[in-house]
Amino acid sequence: MSDFFQSGIITTLHQLGQPSLERLESELLGFAKTRPIALVLPALYSEFERPAMPGIVQELTKVKYLNEVVLALDQATEADFKRVRETMAPIQAEVKIIHNKGKRVSEVYETLRRNGLDAGPQGKGRSAWLSYGYVLARGKSDVIALHDCDILTYNRILLARLCYPIASPTLNYVFCKGYYSRVTDKMNGRVTRLLVTPLVRSLQQLAGQHGFLAFLDSFRYPLAGEFSMSADLARINRIPSDWGLEVGSLAEVYRNYSPHRVCQVDIATTYEHKHQILSAEDAEKGLMKMAVDICKSIFRTLASDGVVFSDGLFRSLSATYLRQAEDTLLKYESDAMINGLAFDRHEEAKAVEAFTRAIAMAAQAFVENPMGTPLIPNWNRVRAAIPDIFEMLKLAVDEDNK
Amino acid sequence: MRDFLNLMLEPLQEVFAKFMAFVPNLLAMLVILLAGVLLAKLLRVLLVKFLLAIKFDSWSDRMGFTTLMRKGDLWLKPSAVLGGIVFWILVIVTLMAGLGALNVAAIDTLVVQFFSYLPRVFSAAVILAIGYLFTSFISRAVLIAVANSGYHYARLLAEAIRVLLMLMILAMVMEQLQIATNIVLAAFSILFGGIVIALAIAFGVGGIDTARRVVEQKFSEAPPEKAPDDIEHL
Repeated sequence: MSDFFQSGIITTLHQLGQPSLERLESELLGFAKTRPIALVLPALYSEFERPAMPGIVQELTKVKYLNEVVLALDQATEADFKRVRETMAPIQAEVKIIHNKGKRVSEVYETLRRNGLDAGPQGKGRSAWLSYGYVLARGKSDVIALHDCDILTYNRILLARLCYPIASPTLNYVFCKGYYSRVTDKMNGRVTRLLVTPLVRSLQQLAGQHGFLAFLDSFRYPLAGEFSMSADLARINRIPSDWGLEVGSLAEVYRNYSPHRVCQVDIATTYEHKHQILSAEDAEKGLMKMAVDICKSIFRTLASDGVVFSDGLFRSLSATYLRQAEDTLLKYESDAMINGLAFDRHEEAKAVEAFTRAIAMAAQAFVENPMGTPLIPNWNRVRAAIPDIFEMLKLAVDEDNK
Repeated sequence: MRDFLNLMLEPLQEVFAKFMAFVPNLLAMLVILLAGVLLAKLLRVLLVKFLLAIKFDSWSDRMGFTTLMRKGDLWLKPSAVLGGIVFWILVIVTLMAGLGALNVAAIDTLVVQFFSYLPRVFSAAVILAIGYLFTSFISRAVLIAVANSGYHYARLLAEAIRVLLMLMILAMVMEQLQIATNIVLAAFSILFGGIVIALAIAFGVGGIDTARRVVEQKFSEAPPEKAPDDIEHL
């Protein structure tokens, strides 16, 4: 059971007492009559061959309040697509699978590209974005929830708690981020613990109080891949196509809505998923790639909000971050000790050193190209350029699913 | 015996002679076909390149032609489709020209009929293309105008107008292609006449009181006197 302390500028919905799944689901069933809920699942075919996805599908078969499930499938052949359809068939809600490598959906991407609306490379960002487009095109859901497909400890209470704040007509939220402790027999979530939080606090020290930094620091797990939002937000939010997806999406939420309409919810007591390697020597893969993209996204968001980044600031940032990260590392070591968790201090220190290099690389990339890769445009802009795009997307997905 | 052999050989010789006379025609047809197909391929490549250069695909996306293709489950680039259409038209024309080179009376008649039909196909295609653009424009204009006037049924009305206009254009196309002209004309007249009568009856029955009130107000009552102007003009 967690504490009930409210920190930061957004609302935190804690898990207090014994949660009742039956109560939540019965309320959600009522909410869904006026605010239908869509679940978006960005997945690779390989995830259907691992233990997580069958468990998720089994849990989803018991969910009654979902209006539709949209699964964006990547790296799948025609035969894989058919197998996935069979696997998803037991789910009660209407299931639609977006076959990203299929002929029709590929042509939709091509249509976007030739009109100067590149949806970016294959990845979670592009899949999520197209899924939102499909949900908007159908116009049958008011709430969109999204979670990853590699959650080994998946329980449907996670989905219920994630959907509740947005689906409830009495709570006035438009965006809700999930949070949880990434703990097994040791502490995971290195990028959040040792990079994002110390970096944000270092930037606050150097650049002064800034709305976005306060907003980002309010999230207990800003890199969580689980969130829900109103369909209107999906229409106006732009999405990054790289590892800066979570931070970039939060930046868009911050830009478009008041923090009063944003919340975070405790969705799981335990959470275990696929781990990434650190890849300290190669910044093109693993956690290093993720770290560089996240830092670039934070720098660019702040720069677009008027923060001036000079060489001096970047030099100070490296030193400030290192101090912040080392202090944080000590705090987590204490936390691990009292809870009897394994804590490899050397590995954690190596991660901090790698992240320091990642910040320097991101700083260099920012100086060379302050604009960076453009975000995937929002659906309002896409519709302005190609008025029939929703119809085309709906035709492509519906034909594939026939 | 020799007579018997001659009797057998003469028809064969005759067939051979006819065949030898036919061979140049056949060769000419094959050459025309080969040259025609190669030329059609070349023209397709050039046409597609030209269409890409003028951004025809993007234009089609914006004008709704691409969606129209997708509705027919055709998931190619509009430029590739247009290139394909032109290619196959040229192949058919080449085939007809090739068949004409055979100098067979029955085929010659067919070829003449085909070439005399081509202008109709062309004008039908033009009517269809312009008609589709016109329909989209009118439908969108109605949607905007009705929605701005605050009516709930703007989309329904715009779609109804689109369907009716497309029906009219399809009737014109069928008439141009001379396909079941009488049936198309009759069906079109019945459909449009039916709609107009239905609307007239609906208005006549439902709006008779309103119509009477409007007419009475217009012609029976004296116009209300204007209130004196508060402003004194110099």
